[in-house]
Amino acid sequence: MNSLISVLIANEGEALTYETHSWLLPETAEIIYGGLASVLVIGALIKVAGPMIKKSLAARTERIQNELESARATKSAAEAEATRIRTALGDINGERSRLLAEADAQAASVIADGRARVATEMAETEAKAMADIAAASGRVQDELRAEIKRLSAIAIERVVAQSMDDKARQDLIEGFISKVGAAR
Amino acid sequence: MSTSTLDAYISSINTIATAEGVLPQVEAEFSAVVRAIDENESLRSKLTDELLPIAVRQSIVEQLLDGKGHRITAQSLALVIGAGHARDLRTISEKISAGVAAGQGRQVAEVRSAVALSEDQQARLSAALAKATGSEVNLKVIVDPSVVGGIVATVGDKVIDGSVRHSLDQLKSRL
Repeated sequence: MNSLISVLIANEGEALTYETHSWLLPETAEIIYGGLASVLVIGALIKVAGPMIKKSLAARTERIQNELESARATKSAAEAEATRIRTALGDINGERSRLLAEADAQAASVIADGRARVATEMAETEAKAMADIAAASGRVQDELRAEIKRLSAIAIERVVAQSMDDKARQDLIEGFISKVGAAR
Repeated sequence: MSTSTLDAYISSINTIATAEGVLPQVEAEFSAVVRAIDENESLRSKLTDELLPIAVRQSIVEQLLDGKGHRITAQSLALVIGAGHARDLRTISEKISAGVAAGQGRQVAEVRSAVALSEDQQARLSAALAKATGSEVNLKVIVDPSVVGGIVATVGDKVIDGSVRHSLDQLKSRL
């Protein structure tokens, strides 16, 4: 640094002619001082900012880990829910099938019972109707028979009364007297 | 009417008619009046109507006899009706007839016919019934159109039914 300064003072007022030993590399002293400075800066950075960065990275890692865990848990829960839903859906389908089967069975039973009852009632109604018809027929026949008897009796009586002239009456009286007289 | 009361009336009429020597006539007239009453529902109901004055009922019987009956008959009928025993006239008549017949050693034969019987028919029927029953009979002929034809004879408990009505009834029952 001092040489640099002395060079700068010595050359004040005259044209500075400076020539480096390499077009690419700086002066050796610069390399040394620059290197030291860089090491110091990097060391300071490592010393001061390292833990912070490390802590920050750890926190970030933990956060990411937590998020991953959370995501995993959510995924597991979602999968469990999906499983439950799938199971429930399966149960619902099964229950629906069971209910439908039960309903079909009940319907078949009701229909069978209904048919049997209708058949029984029809048979009973038919039997009753036949009995009623037979009774009505018998009643009508009886009434008809009675009416025929009544009319026949009236007709006979009228015919007999009309044919009963004096001669017939006298013949009957004579017949009665003869019959009674001959009785003993 | 009790039997004893009825017998008392019958005995009284028999005794009086016998004493007067007109028992057969009284019996015949009594029977004729009772038959007339039996055959006429209106007449029977009037004679048995307790609300009708006795004098009116007695006058009905007098009108029936039309002054032709014996006074004993008229008085006997008036007595029975006046005592309120018009319903028992038939029984009294039957017992008087039976008493008269019994007094003659006979039975009463009630004969129902659709037409009147001649004297000859009555005589032959009496003989026939006597033969059939084994006892002489006093005929009481009743003209009853419901018989239609033939004769129904009742002697005591015995009924000999040769009527057309009986034949018609039998025919009806067979139908």
